[in-house]
Amino acid sequence: MLSSLRTGVQGLWRVSARSLQTTSALQHDSLFVHRDTPEDNSSIPFEFSPANQKRIDALLAIYPEGHKRGAMIPLLDLAQRQNGGWLPISAMHKVAEILNLPRMRVYEVATFYTMFIRRPIGKYHVQVCTTTPCWLRGSDAVLKAIVEATGCQVGGNSPCGKFSVSEVECLGACVNAPMVQVNDDYYEDLTVEDTKEIIEKLKKDEKPKPGPRSGRFAAEPLGGLTSLTEEPTGPGYGLQDALKA
Amino acid sequence: MLRQPLSRALALTSPTRAAPLAARRFAEQVQARPDNVEVFIDDQPVYVPPGTTVLQAAAQVGVEIPRFCYHERLAVAGNCRMCLVEVEKSPKPVAACAMPVMKGMRVKTNSDLTRKAREGVMEFLLVNHPLDCPICDQGGECDLQDQSMAFGSDKSRFTDIHFSGKRAVEDKDVGPLIKTIMTRCIHCTRCIRFASEVAGVDDFGTTGRGTDMQVGTYVEKMFLSELSGNIIDLCPVGALTSKPYSFAARPWETRRIDSVDVLDPLGSNIVVATRTNEVLRILPRTNEEINEEWLADKSRFACDGLKRQRLVTPMMADSRGNLTPCEWEDAIVAAARALRDCPPDKLVAVSGDLADAESLVALKDLLNKLGSENTCTEQYFPLEGSGIDFRSSYLLNTKIANVEEADFVLLIGTNVRFEAPLLNARIRKAFIHKETDVALVGPKVDLTYDYMHVGDSASIVKDLATGTSAHEVLKRLESAKRPVVILGADQLKTQEGSALLAYTQELALRLQDKLQDKNWKVLNVLQRTASQVAALDIGYKPGVGKVLEAGPKVVYLLGADAGVVTRESLPKDAVVIYQGHHGDVGAQAADIVLPGAAYTEKRATYVNAEGRAQQTLVAVTPPGKAREDWKIIRALSEVVGERLPYDNLDEVRTRMSEISPALVSYGDVQDNNYFAQARALAQSLQKPVSGKLDVQLKTLEDYFMTDSISRASPTMAKCVQAVLKQKQSPY
Amino acid sequence: MFKVISHTANLTRSQLSRSLPAFSTSATRLAGDPTSRKEAPIIDNESVLTLPEKAKERKALDTAIVVPVKVDLSPITGVPEEHVKTRRVRIYQPAKNAMQSGTNNIHHWEMEFDTRQRWENPLMGWTSTGDPLSNMKVQFSSPDEAIEHCEKNGWIWYLDIPKTEKQFKPKNYGVNFSWNRRTRVSTK
Repeated sequence: MLSSLRTGVQGLWRVSARSLQTTSALQHDSLFVHRDTPEDNSSIPFEFSPANQKRIDALLAIYPEGHKRGAMIPLLDLAQRQNGGWLPISAMHKVAEILNLPRMRVYEVATFYTMFIRRPIGKYHVQVCTTTPCWLRGSDAVLKAIVEATGCQVGGNSPCGKFSVSEVECLGACVNAPMVQVNDDYYEDLTVEDTKEIIEKLKKDEKPKPGPRSGRFAAEPLGGLTSLTEEPTGPGYGLQDALKA
Repeated sequence: MLRQPLSRALALTSPTRAAPLAARRFAEQVQARPDNVEVFIDDQPVYVPPGTTVLQAAAQVGVEIPRFCYHERLAVAGNCRMCLVEVEKSPKPVAACAMPVMKGMRVKTNSDLTRKAREGVMEFLLVNHPLDCPICDQGGECDLQDQSMAFGSDKSRFTDIHFSGKRAVEDKDVGPLIKTIMTRCIHCTRCIRFASEVAGVDDFGTTGRGTDMQVGTYVEKMFLSELSGNIIDLCPVGALTSKPYSFAARPWETRRIDSVDVLDPLGSNIVVATRTNEVLRILPRTNEEINEEWLADKSRFACDGLKRQRLVTPMMADSRGNLTPCEWEDAIVAAARALRDCPPDKLVAVSGDLADAESLVALKDLLNKLGSENTCTEQYFPLEGSGIDFRSSYLLNTKIANVEEADFVLLIGTNVRFEAPLLNARIRKAFIHKETDVALVGPKVDLTYDYMHVGDSASIVKDLATGTSAHEVLKRLESAKRPVVILGADQLKTQEGSALLAYTQELALRLQDKLQDKNWKVLNVLQRTASQVAALDIGYKPGVGKVLEAGPKVVYLLGADAGVVTRESLPKDAVVIYQGHHGDVGAQAADIVLPGAAYTEKRATYVNAEGRAQQTLVAVTPPGKAREDWKIIRALSEVVGERLPYDNLDEVRTRMSEISPALVSYGDVQDNNYFAQARALAQSLQKPVSGKLDVQLKTLEDYFMTDSISRASPTMAKCVQAVLKQKQSPY
Repeated sequence: MFKVISHTANLTRSQLSRSLPAFSTSATRLAGDPTSRKEAPIIDNESVLTLPEKAKERKALDTAIVVPVKVDLSPITGVPEEHVKTRRVRIYQPAKNAMQSGTNNIHHWEMEFDTRQRWENPLMGWTSTGDPLSNMKVQFSSPDEAIEHCEKNGWIWYLDIPKTEKQFKPKNYGVNFSWNRRTRVSTK
């Protein structure tokens, strides 16, 4: 009796109070150590394409002698783009070789930034923002629609291998909430229907038009301007007469 | 009145004791001193050079600021925040380890704000630190434990034990020496900085970020360095602990005996931790002139070899030639008979890698009394020219600490990294922090830093010495203000050894004559073993070639395990007496075995490659019937009938001081001169050389097992296996 | 002979008490100040009137009795002669534990005897020894005191001075980002 009361009280207390550690430890959905897999191991060769070689030369030229390691992030990004959106370990080795750095220094950078993805990923990486403004505007429904349409779990790849879905924090387009990012493009002001349409188009490898779906051009107010509606005043407006030329 | 110990008399008469040589500065290095800045640490004024950190300034007045990530021999990281202190007029507490002092700064290291900041940092550190101190090997010597007692909170706000628990990190496999429990890691990054700055093996790093950050190697990779054990010491928590020592003892159970390492020629200072007459582990002891506070892995982990393969009882060969245990009396009598019946010119003594100066003196005295002059060492050194008449010809004259001051280092036929790991660490330190450049004549090896590879032919040394080389190195050497030339002693055993030494002397002296700093020494010979310098000082002849050719009848091996004296190289009827502590190559060839004491079991003198005499102390007693080495020889002399005139250690040391005072001036090293004379005598030896220089220890697997102790050590065997396994790995 | 000892002792002493002012000049300044003594010194009547022999006798009585400084306690301590005559005492400064960064407990001098045999006691597995002096680690604030103590007890001693003095080199966080090629590549 007493013990059940105590657990009840404890349960209540747990719900009502959040002390220093009562949030569950949030773990990142990727590993921070490398495991050899058939898709990702150091014996798979990686070479930059000739076009990217030229880009690398241009990038390295930016940085002064002795500070070539500054080019690490651009180089890793090039490697990731060349490799279909993810960064294999052999690409990191290649970058280390180009920059003449110990491999560990490259691993450190590649694991630090969440935009470097170190596991095989679908052709379209759908990143759904679920931070407060998007969440308030219905990002949960958008996420659910995406998961259903692509058939992949959050943080995983679709069975067809074309899609990967991840739930991300704010992507800085709160005015156009809810929004998703597919590879480099933002799709904003989404409804569930819009989302489904985007996914369907992507399935057919057509590129949907990026940007807001509400008819807005960018982040202007949805119902037209409510202020600054008059003609802009010309230069010298409000200047005292004495100063006018 | 009792005899005063000699060490005391010597310690008191040498005034250099108070002024260590490391403090010696070289002429042009003395710069105009910028005005010191006055700062106040807890209201005590202290004057420090500008740019000093608050933490260092506090240390000057004896105020110790708690720290985890800061280490005085590593770069400043400033990431643990434990050293937060209040600075007057600063809105927030500042990190003392990274904050440079400013004029008139008032630092409060014990104010309410400081204490609150420390308590907060401590709480955050402990949020994700497991409370497994009772099963943690660091318990009792853990910085986190101590500092949480001193600066932490008295209560916990951690109420989550029913939910998700603390952060957990998977353990890494970094080899057979270091055990990792990464959940305990507090991310001080000391191991990462050590690996990259001192060890020169950039295998550690941090992966991930935020709560997912972990210290590790990212890929499955062992930390393969000859200095890897030091990260165990550096780790302020129990994340990196010693694998061979795991769950063996608590620090308060062990006795610590200060001693000296003999497994490499540098004579690093060590602390031997023992319990119940057993050596449990070996830790480094700070000596700024030799090992700073590092220790090489062989010196640290080969101590389990002291418990295995030991000779615990005297033995004699029976009628079938098998060694069978016997009493001391029988063995001594048999040995004495062999010695007495042998014609003096057929009597030979050979000393090995680990022989101490006391037993070397006793053995030489005994042989001389018996009329034989055939005392020699296993390692060869050319006797032509000045030979071993001048100490300067076979010592590391620059001295280990001064190598840091060098601006150009030329290595000839030596892989310093494995022959003397801590000397290599010094060169690396100079390379990194002082822009010292290094060149190598010899096979291409990994020295952990970049160097100019001049080639591996001996004729390069000749060209450099005669000034006819077209290589850039010659110009660099000639323009250097403090050049250092280090010749590996292994090169001297070849036919061309004497010529190579002569050319090296010529080169070094030619450079030295042109220097502004007249005290700077250029010529260095790096010996391979801990006993060689003492043996040469005492007057042993280097190399056994000639005496073996003469067909000796009795061979007395004093720990000679390098395999240069084999049964095949001796006449069939020769009697081999082996005195030593391990059943290794020497004991296998012996007819009579006299069990001696290892370096942890005797108070004995060893002279390191610089010529610095140091003594080991008794940490444990020799196992079984084994005895101290000089006492065995003293007992033998009594039975032979040529009684040696010393009965205790003080008297042996008096005898040693008669031979050379340098042998008993413990801790000191004298400056060597007579370079010019050695050079003059070597002039005639400058013959053309054509051979290739080769080194014995090329890669890490060669390093671990080089002497009878490390060959008996299972840990060292595991290390060799691990290195070979890592070689198969793609990472 | 003691010059060096006292020299080293002074060295350590000054290190230990760096925080205290080395000496005070106020007393000497006052003593030399002529204005502090305006009148002629007062001469005691009695000292003028006493006979020379009496004065000599009184003076002899006034001086303190000098007790010989060198005391040898070994005959009366009851320590077996074997432990006094055959053993050596090492006087040293304890080494810093390499496993920890704290240095609070190493700023003193210690004496200890040479190690003798220990063995594991079969009853409990504890360590046994036949050496009554093995646990005698006495702490001193200077080597002088340790030496005096050893000589008093008739022990043969020797001094082991650690070489830990290091050249002071300011450390700098900014070095991590310096333009020096080598430091940048090697440090994190």
